[in-house]
Amino acid sequence: MLAMILAGGQGSRLGKLTKSTAKPAVPFGGRYRIIDFALSNCFNSGVNTVGVVTQYQPLELNAHIQNGASWGLDEKNAGVTVLQPFASREGEKWFEGTAHAIYQNMDYIDLYSPKYVLILSGDHIYKMDYEAMFNYHKAKKASLTVGVLPVSMAEAPRFGIMNTDETERIIEFEEKPKQPKSNLASMGIYIFNWPTLKKYLIDSYATDMKMEDFGKDVIPAYLAHNEPTYAYAFHGYWKDVGTIQSLWQANMEFLEPNNELNIGDKEWRVYSRNDALPPMYITKSARVNNAMVVDGCYVAGDIEHSILSQNVKVGAGSVIRDSMIMPNAVIGKNVTIDHAIVGERAIIGDGANVVGTEDDIAVVGYQEVLGKAVDKG
Amino acid sequence: MRQNIISAIVDLNEPDEALRPLTSNRPVGTLPFAGRYRLIDFPLSAISNAGIRDVAMFLPKSGRSVQDHIRSGNSWNLDTITGGIFTFPYVAEKDYSDPVNRKRYYDDYLTFLRKSDSRYTIVIGAGNVENINIEEVLQFHVDGNNPITVLYKRQDPKTITPDEAALNISEAGDVTAILKAKEVTPDAVNHMLPMNMGVYLMRTSLFIELMQNASEQDTYASLQQILSEAVEVYNANAYEYTGFYSKIDTVKRYFDANMAMLDEANYQALLFSQRQIFTKNKNEIPTFFAKSSIVNTTLLGTGSHIEGRVDNSVIFRSVKIDRGAEVANSVIMQNCKIGPGSHVKYAILDKGVVIGAGLKIEGTPEQPIIFAKGASVLHEADIDKGVQR
Repeated sequence: MLAMILAGGQGSRLGKLTKSTAKPAVPFGGRYRIIDFALSNCFNSGVNTVGVVTQYQPLELNAHIQNGASWGLDEKNAGVTVLQPFASREGEKWFEGTAHAIYQNMDYIDLYSPKYVLILSGDHIYKMDYEAMFNYHKAKKASLTVGVLPVSMAEAPRFGIMNTDETERIIEFEEKPKQPKSNLASMGIYIFNWPTLKKYLIDSYATDMKMEDFGKDVIPAYLAHNEPTYAYAFHGYWKDVGTIQSLWQANMEFLEPNNELNIGDKEWRVYSRNDALPPMYITKSARVNNAMVVDGCYVAGDIEHSILSQNVKVGAGSVIRDSMIMPNAVIGKNVTIDHAIVGERAIIGDGANVVGTEDDIAVVGYQEVLGKAVDKG
Repeated sequence: MRQNIISAIVDLNEPDEALRPLTSNRPVGTLPFAGRYRLIDFPLSAISNAGIRDVAMFLPKSGRSVQDHIRSGNSWNLDTITGGIFTFPYVAEKDYSDPVNRKRYYDDYLTFLRKSDSRYTIVIGAGNVENINIEEVLQFHVDGNNPITVLYKRQDPKTITPDEAALNISEAGDVTAILKAKEVTPDAVNHMLPMNMGVYLMRTSLFIELMQNASEQDTYASLQQILSEAVEVYNANAYEYTGFYSKIDTVKRYFDANMAMLDEANYQALLFSQRQIFTKNKNEIPTFFAKSSIVNTTLLGTGSHIEGRVDNSVIFRSVKIDRGAEVANSVIMQNCKIGPGSHVKYAILDKGVVIGAGLKIEGTPEQPIIFAKGASVLHEADIDKGVQR
């Protein structure tokens, strides 16, 4: 089975944070980037061939993934390939939607002649065994298996909902139903029999009925043609971090001891690419509580219920509360940061305030400079 | 730097008696340092930062920890298609009165030196904390008058022992001999001694000549002896190294060097310099500071979980310090656990030491108490497992 991670999304709802980077490259939890979760799940599930489909601002993502060795995905005749739009004799291969992205990269998939292809999204925080889903797919003799998350009925109207029969076969798909009939929300995770999907895609692009999106186009077509389509229920922590609010929320949940994600589980490690940075230094004047800090950090201020990512500097007299600070940010002295996300390489000058509320998280963009410049020491 | 200009020799067979039990199962070069490094990271980073791609590594008896740390050498960019790390296994048979063993000793060096095809070779130890700019040393050598360059660090005679190697520097500034510290007169102005760092740079052709001559003798001479004699014969350029330096050859020096990293100036100068210190990467989770934790003046690696109090200490990866536990002035290595309410002061806990609840472990600044790798200290009586030397 070959995996395709769709990492091309612009993530425009993340505002300033994705102005110059793709959403899957956004830092998470101090040591990770969002795509690490999907890549680590692949490695841990024994999926050793992964195509990462990029399109929007791919530089940082490319620099992060490199040859995939950080996730153990650098085997011979397998490994990670970053796929970017390119021009061919048929024209430029930019993609209009999730299914179109796969259509444009058919040549890559065919290099490996897989029987099955696993489609993943690069912007979710979760730990999932794709092998278990794959075994389910084979046992059900499915043509398509959709990963679904049971949500509360109150939340169901926000999702694409799969209605199933008693054998878990999907009989109907409703996008954001006002009156949901089921609580099985699509996670954007699919296992397809590749020859069948390929035929559907090629046929659709030969006509005007172009299949651009899995949810809008492919699943309805599969149901209409009676392709055996099943829902595989995932139980566990799963978070779409598509908005500032949900990104902040997920980081705060990550801070909770014994949270459901269980990042410390040695049986299902989440890998990342990290630079060799010096150990963190907590000075005499610092107070660090309910917080996560990683290597390269220098902390002279108060950190309360917050996450500091790699190489963050916090000057004396500063207070950081209920916030997430991304890598290489420099925070001066006597700064107050509360309910905020501070972007990579941002510089917060001495005495500046960045204060949000639980419903309106303050955001400092990548490389943004606030207040007067500080000594980067 | 263009390839084949300079190659490096790192010998991990360094005296470790005064560091036991920390060196019972590892060479000095793989002693953990400053929360996330091994001592060998310092020479390897200097080598990497100078663009050197050919490195000979002479493995010690306990080579496993070295192999496990170095792997392909990719953490130091030493896994290139040309060159890389060439390891020479430990030779158990050290009876050098036997000409066969003697020949083998010199042949290993000669094989590497000839194969490396580099113009210069640098010999560097694995037991020092230092951040050397090898490119600058090479330039100094090229500009100098002598065929060999030796590195030294000015040190206060009070901080060294009389038998340690120092340089005898002539008025013209040349090294004429390597002597014992007690045989060298301290600088008249600042009363410091030029201490030998054991780092030598010379033309590879001269190095080959020295090793070949040595191999033809009827008696055995070690690499350091050969180099020392060569300095006497040819004289050497004296390169003064001014950065942070600590020769790790006793428990006290090991402890003090770790504590020195808690001085912000040392931490910044050694670890945040332009010449980065590389090390093997581990995928650890962030370190968690609980609501109850109090941590001050401390270096920490990732993956730790702190509920208790920590002052003036170096805490490595994945250490657990329980609620009510207090750690002060100590070096706590990877995977240690300190139980609730226990007090640990002036201690060195090697990897994986477990301290139970409500125990009191206390050494002194002069003689920190050491618990060997994996020691389990669950009861009062187990505290006797600690070693002070």
